[in-house]
Amino acid sequence: MALLELRNITAGYDKNVILKDLDFQVEKGELVSLLGSSGCGKTTTLRLIAGFSTPMDGKFIFDGKDYTQVPLNKRNFGFVFQSYALFPHMTVFDNVAFGLKMRKVPQDQMKKEVMEMLETVDLAGFENRFPKEMSGGQRQRVALARALVIKPDLLLLDEPLSNLDAKLRVKMRVEIRRLQQKFGFTAIYVTHDQEECFAISDKVAIMNHGVIEQMDSPSVIYNHPKTEFIARFVGFENFMDIKKTDREGFYLLPDNSQIRIEGKREGQSQKACIRPEDITIVPEGFSAPNPLTGQVMVSTFLGKRNQYNVRTAIGEFEVSTDQESVYKIGDQVTLSLAPGKIILL
Amino acid sequence: MLEKKTNIYWLFILPGCLFLAFFMLIPLFSLLFKTFADESGAFSMANYFALLESTYFKQVFWRSIRLSLTSTAVCAVLGFPTAYYISKYSKNKGVLMALAVFPMFTSPVIRSFSWMVILGKKGIVNDLLVKSGLIAKPISLLYNEFSMVVGFIQLFLPLMILSLIGIMDNISEDLNLAAGSLGASRLGTFRHVVLPLSIPGLVTGSVLVFTGCLTAYTTPQLLGGTDTRVLATMIYQQAMSLGDWTQASVVAVVMIVVTVAVSSVINNISRKLNPTI
Repeated sequence: MALLELRNITAGYDKNVILKDLDFQVEKGELVSLLGSSGCGKTTTLRLIAGFSTPMDGKFIFDGKDYTQVPLNKRNFGFVFQSYALFPHMTVFDNVAFGLKMRKVPQDQMKKEVMEMLETVDLAGFENRFPKEMSGGQRQRVALARALVIKPDLLLLDEPLSNLDAKLRVKMRVEIRRLQQKFGFTAIYVTHDQEECFAISDKVAIMNHGVIEQMDSPSVIYNHPKTEFIARFVGFENFMDIKKTDREGFYLLPDNSQIRIEGKREGQSQKACIRPEDITIVPEGFSAPNPLTGQVMVSTFLGKRNQYNVRTAIGEFEVSTDQESVYKIGDQVTLSLAPGKIILL
Repeated sequence: MLEKKTNIYWLFILPGCLFLAFFMLIPLFSLLFKTFADESGAFSMANYFALLESTYFKQVFWRSIRLSLTSTAVCAVLGFPTAYYISKYSKNKGVLMALAVFPMFTSPVIRSFSWMVILGKKGIVNDLLVKSGLIAKPISLLYNEFSMVVGFIQLFLPLMILSLIGIMDNISEDLNLAAGSLGASRLGTFRHVVLPLSIPGLVTGSVLVFTGCLTAYTTPQLLGGTDTRVLATMIYQQAMSLGDWTQASVVAVVMIVVTVAVSSVINNISRKLNPTI
């Protein structure tokens, strides 16, 4: 049974519904990311789990118990804020010790646990500093230590790295993953950064307009997006309307030509998509599967690769290739769509 | 890098500085000098010694301090929950802020007169007390320390509320949620997070209220009696009724010193309580 389960959750402010009939499950020990653009409901979901707000409808089950109405201070969940939310009037030590103090942990045990935790996040020796005397990355680690020292049943992270610079972000996400694997805690991680979320998570739930469109492991999402929204999100730029034909693996394009697609999918597919990297430009005199002729409209030099926007009879295609020959605007080219790389939606 | 240009922006503050120099600093220092001179014009502390030995002055001095501290404490107790509510929970903050500040739109004279009507022998308070049978005949609520404190509180409570709201608005809601998620109850969150972070506002408010009370003139003049004089009314009495300008100046200097001293003491205490200020 899942450790955490949201059942038919509806939430919002006043008449503004943000989440509608949301279902969501997390297994024990998993790190699950909620990914989506701003306004998709990911932060609302996280705050609801934390107990910062209560749903209008639906149930939140945690460890077999109904947590829907359990007040925030009785949940034993750690929360890491985007703003860190460190107490500015307390030292690093007192910040980290706060949760233990509220739990009335004896003084010497508290001291031991806080110091151990500071050591774990590589902040030994900083215990007497105030948050304003520390850098963004250090504050982030204090926030993590403060949330982890209470041995939370669940760790919730709300875009914890978005205020850090790119290099530190990569370092910190490795750090978070390391801590998660060391302590084996269950975590829910909210972010709008796809790379970050794929790197850190066991499972990714992609949200759109208050609904989870797909929840799977990062590689499944990357290679087998279920909806057009998710396909676009993970870098599929080229979409085609298709119709099934009588021949197995062959589909009809809008200009009545046929295309071969190796992938399969349950149910009726109306659309297919392919990444720019999976389209090649066929040199003159050669043949290749799924040829499509068109004219180069835009040519962009990207260093290692060249990117072309090619207009064909069934729409414009974005092609990214590392082939050496360079095509100019107006050139007639033949594209080849790798049959194994086309995804049915 | 920009070339360093001659800084002429100090010209902006020149008019204000000149005005203050002519109409405040010069009169203030001439007053100060006069208090350190004897009749012949030589330097002397005699005026101060004479004043400090006077039992009447001592009475007035300690009464002023006591009334100002009492009013400040009451303003803090009344103002804190009010400000907290307005800052964190109210839906129409603008209206409540306007209401809180509303008393400041009328002059202290009118406000004091209103209190005379309310607290007088035939005022509503006495009326209610008599009708409810709590007292047999009207009691004297006016022209004593009680009525002065009431007047001070009404006069200066808005300053306390505004100072506190200014600070409380800057306490991020995330901090309260963080405390809650770490297991703090509402009371715990208040005690460990909201209260300590509100101290700067409490300090600013207290300094404003205290100095306001200590230097207020109209309210003690109208709501106080002849035997409840405070420093401000004593200065007036010395200068206007008795014509003793030197004595009045000495009291004024004492008043200024006390104001500055108390403000800095309060500031220091708050710094100890909250080292991040």
